[in-house]
Amino acid sequence: MRGIDRERTRWFLRNILPHEPALRNWLSRRQPVGLEIDDIIQESYAVLADMESVEAIRHPRAYLFQVARSVIVRHVKRARVVPIHAVEDISQFDRADAASSPEQVAIDRDQLGRLAKAIGAMPPKTQQAFVLRRVEGLSQREISTRMAISENTVEKHISRGLRFLGDWFGHGGKAVPETSMEQELEISTLDGGRRNQSTH
Amino acid sequence: MADVETSRHIEEKAADWVARLDRGPLSEADSAALERWLDGDPRRRGAFLRANALSMMSESGQALGPDFTPQAFATPNPLRHRGMTRRKWLSGAGGAVAASLIALGVSAPAGAITTGLGEVRLVTLEDGSTVMLNSQTSVKVGYTRNERRVHLLYGEAYFTIVSDPHRAFLVEVADARLSASRAGFGVRKLDGLPVDVLVNQGSVALGRVGSPKPLVLGANTRITLPQADGALPVPQLVTGDLVTRELAWREGKIAFEGERLDQAAAQFARYSRTRIEIRDPDLASEPVTGLFSAGDPVGFSRAVAAIFDARVEQQADRVILSRRTNRT
Repeated sequence: MRGIDRERTRWFLRNILPHEPALRNWLSRRQPVGLEIDDIIQESYAVLADMESVEAIRHPRAYLFQVARSVIVRHVKRARVVPIHAVEDISQFDRADAASSPEQVAIDRDQLGRLAKAIGAMPPKTQQAFVLRRVEGLSQREISTRMAISENTVEKHISRGLRFLGDWFGHGGKAVPETSMEQELEISTLDGGRRNQSTH
Repeated sequence: MADVETSRHIEEKAADWVARLDRGPLSEADSAALERWLDGDPRRRGAFLRANALSMMSESGQALGPDFTPQAFATPNPLRHRGMTRRKWLSGAGGAVAASLIALGVSAPAGAITTGLGEVRLVTLEDGSTVMLNSQTSVKVGYTRNERRVHLLYGEAYFTIVSDPHRAFLVEVADARLSASRAGFGVRKLDGLPVDVLVNQGSVALGRVGSPKPLVLGANTRITLPQADGALPVPQLVTGDLVTRELAWREGKIAFEGERLDQAAAQFARYSRTRIEIRDPDLASEPVTGLFSAGDPVGFSRAVAAIFDARVEQQADRVILSRRTNRT
């Protein structure tokens, strides 16, 4: 199954994910009209997920920036009306900040510390479920018994926890998701039998 | 399809799938549903890879050990403090995070970062502060547990500093020292010219060897430090427009508003090997206004020639501008 290969995931975790904050930063300065940063990032990661092999990639950071650039070029070309300043922006992608930078090493070394902080900032129920699963190693079923909530709810908390980590690590360990409090309330209503409509 | 599904929604679905996989083996129906989902919009596969990686990363949480108390890393439980406003809670969280950062003793390796001719580079530092380096610039980053220090060796850089109540951010340039907690400012140190500081946002304290007390510079102020002695001159208040123009290099541009053509042309020498020569003194003193691409001296010359009815002649590393009337 695509995108689920553990080796690819591990490679991605080590070589690509640490550069996401820098990529976001870079994109935020050069984002062409009509393209969301998250769209560009997801599409870039899809390219990395779909590659036959990543062995040939010597400089993952530079490669990531290059892929992101090509994603934008593709979109700009596809758009019927090309805004003038989008075209101008593209010429500047050649000067990409793609070289290695000090933050990279620091992230590797301190990943555990950052994980601890991210977990520490999670909404309480999600935090409890996440700690039981990832720190104490209980299964989702065991957690459901321990917390006296349904297994589906545990699964929701794990999913929220992962998204929380995504926000946290993707934005350089600063972002607290705006809706974390509401999400907590939303999940707690799940057990009361009132399921919220789609999340949009 | 691609235009109705938001990236946020995709991110949620991807996390849901990874959480489902974390629960145990998928049923046949779920497995097929996941395959179908992944076959849709390509962004889904990217989001799925990312969510898997985050999940894998969180597996290292076991290393935190049984004594791990998340509360030690965060604010008091927000639900137990319903009386607190959201804003208070968030700022409290910031403080706690900063405190634990100290406890963990994070520090980035020291080293110089240098840009080449025509290169503009954004460097994100470990705390989220950024330094943008203009063409031919060198900075040295030294982060310790007590302070965040960046030395501007030469060139021009723009600093965007995020606050950290426990670690001051210091920028050293020549015999001056700037400190700030939350600010955006540019510092320039070019050959043969005095050091120039331009504050865009927040405030910056400027100290200098030989001057007793630091000077606080607010937003939209500029100060030029004479090379001779350590005295601090009076800072100038400048307009927001001027700040924007002066910082246009961050977008790879040069902005002019009424500068002499020869002075404007000289600016391009910082970004490329191509030199612009102006043959006529009266052409050289014409005022130039506009936003130009820093890496394109030829484009600039053509644009200027069109306005002033001049002639452009391009040689190897030179662009020569002259009055048309000179030819006859």
